[in-house]
Amino acid sequence: MSGLLAFARFEVLRLLGSWKFLAITLGFPVIFYMLFLRDENAGKIVDGAVPWRVYLMVSMCSFGALVAALNAGGSRLSAERASGWSRQLRVTPIPAWSYVGTKLASSMLVVLPVVALVELVGMAFGGVRLGFGTWIELTALLWVAAVPFAGLGIFVGFMVNAETAYPVVTALMFLLGYFGGLFNPVSHMPHTLQTTARILPSFHQTSLGLALLDGRSFGISDTFVLAAYAVAFGLAIAWKHRVEESRGLA
Amino acid sequence: MSQANGPFVLVPDTFIPASPWEAVGGDPALRFDDVVRRYGHHVALDHLNLRVDRGETVALLGPNGAGKSTTISLLLGLLRPHGGCVEVLGMSPRRAVAQGRVGAMLQTGSGTGLPPGVKVASVLQLVRRLYRHPAPFELTVERAGIGALLGRPTHRLSGGQAQRVRFAVAIAGDPELVFLDEPTAAMDVESRRSFWRMMRQFGAEGRTIVFATHHMHEADQIADRVVVINHGHIVANGPGATIKAAVASRQLRFVTGQPDERLLDQLEGVTDVVIRGTGVALNSLDADATIRALVHSGVAFRDLEVTGAGLEDAFMALTGCDEDADEERKR
Repeated sequence: MSGLLAFARFEVLRLLGSWKFLAITLGFPVIFYMLFLRDENAGKIVDGAVPWRVYLMVSMCSFGALVAALNAGGSRLSAERASGWSRQLRVTPIPAWSYVGTKLASSMLVVLPVVALVELVGMAFGGVRLGFGTWIELTALLWVAAVPFAGLGIFVGFMVNAETAYPVVTALMFLLGYFGGLFNPVSHMPHTLQTTARILPSFHQTSLGLALLDGRSFGISDTFVLAAYAVAFGLAIAWKHRVEESRGLA
Repeated sequence: MSQANGPFVLVPDTFIPASPWEAVGGDPALRFDDVVRRYGHHVALDHLNLRVDRGETVALLGPNGAGKSTTISLLLGLLRPHGGCVEVLGMSPRRAVAQGRVGAMLQTGSGTGLPPGVKVASVLQLVRRLYRHPAPFELTVERAGIGALLGRPTHRLSGGQAQRVRFAVAIAGDPELVFLDEPTAAMDVESRRSFWRMMRQFGAEGRTIVFATHHMHEADQIADRVVVINHGHIVANGPGATIKAAVASRQLRFVTGQPDERLLDQLEGVTDVVIRGTGVALNSLDADATIRALVHSGVAFRDLEVTGAGLEDAFMALTGCDEDADEERKR
């Protein structure tokens, strides 16, 4: 057990010690929030009942979670597989699942401060005012809803090699962000794109957060879709891990 | 798993040094009973039998693709056999690994085998914490000779330095048994020499070491016993000197402008490279393959000469059967 904890600590410290990782995961959502906020629409009501600046805060929390999870999992995992490190860990006493397990856990752990930071920026610069309990609820909700992203990150890390991981992760980040309605509310999109958005986890994560704030009932369908994505990525990772293990590569 | 091991020993083990690990139990360090491993239709290991006693240093010698890496992967539980049984320290390989009694240096291709963007010291500290009874940090650093590298990030290490750090990672848990898969690949002559000095010292403490190599002289100089593998069979098994005399590999001699030792050494079948000015002598376990690889490598050579008995002939002389030669003809 102490071995696992040491490994988890090592992983998190590595993530937090990487300037590149911090710059990307903290920089993107905060800069985008500030840029889009300067829009004269800041107070306009969008997507139901929330003002633009509130919508943007939630969607940038989603985007931040997406960026953090994909970068923590995807690019790093494939780099470590290419270097042979993941295989080296397999011949140490920690159990076979602990590599993937620790990666998932550390991805989730770095999502939390990103969500909190975007919320702080929303509070300080976007003038978003919520009750203390609602802040906590929103943070917890957006955090848990990031599980599919963490799964996606790990899956991408398994599927692509070290050279293509970075472009693939970046592409996924912006595709899921744009088509999931994180940069522009879904209601502002053409009809076909609205349909596309509804199948993406990024849309449902934002929608879940917005449902909490605009007084709609709790997003049951959002929860269902996100859970389905989490299970699907979990199974995909388990399958890939098994295949690799039978070849002696995992 | 029964304890029957007698009939599988091809050559009596004559070298059994006194070792602190021997007191732990009567099981051999490792045992392969009739092990088969396939990749699709290709048979990588064909009913392999092998036993290594505690305290022995054994070399697995053979050309690329002979089955050396497969053997090591099986010994570490990274692969499972399709037939037969593999035991390490009297238990399943995975269990021995989980108990922290085994250390390994795997082949990593072009990678460093280390996590990118971290200092050497923190990698070593982490690996120590994964074991229940690790060796003292300072001792591992000293054994692997990486004192000067501790503050360096892993992606700023040369090939030879990374190899030394990987050796430190392999021995950080103070294992009884160490597996090294081509540990000196991509090292220059000097780092290769210092690496083996280090290894010999580590082995002298009574640990069991099994390493794979395609260098006849490395196997001969370092190991107590050499096991020659080819096409998934053990074709010879005995002290280095015996094997060396029996397995008189072919020698290729030619002249080339600027001989690149690292490149020549990596050619298929090559076990030894000697360069004198523009003259090159290669010892090869498979002269045909080496010549093909040489042509393919684009090295401009002339005056090629091939001398010495073929490996298959040597194996026949050694094992008294021409099973391998038969198989070769069938292919």
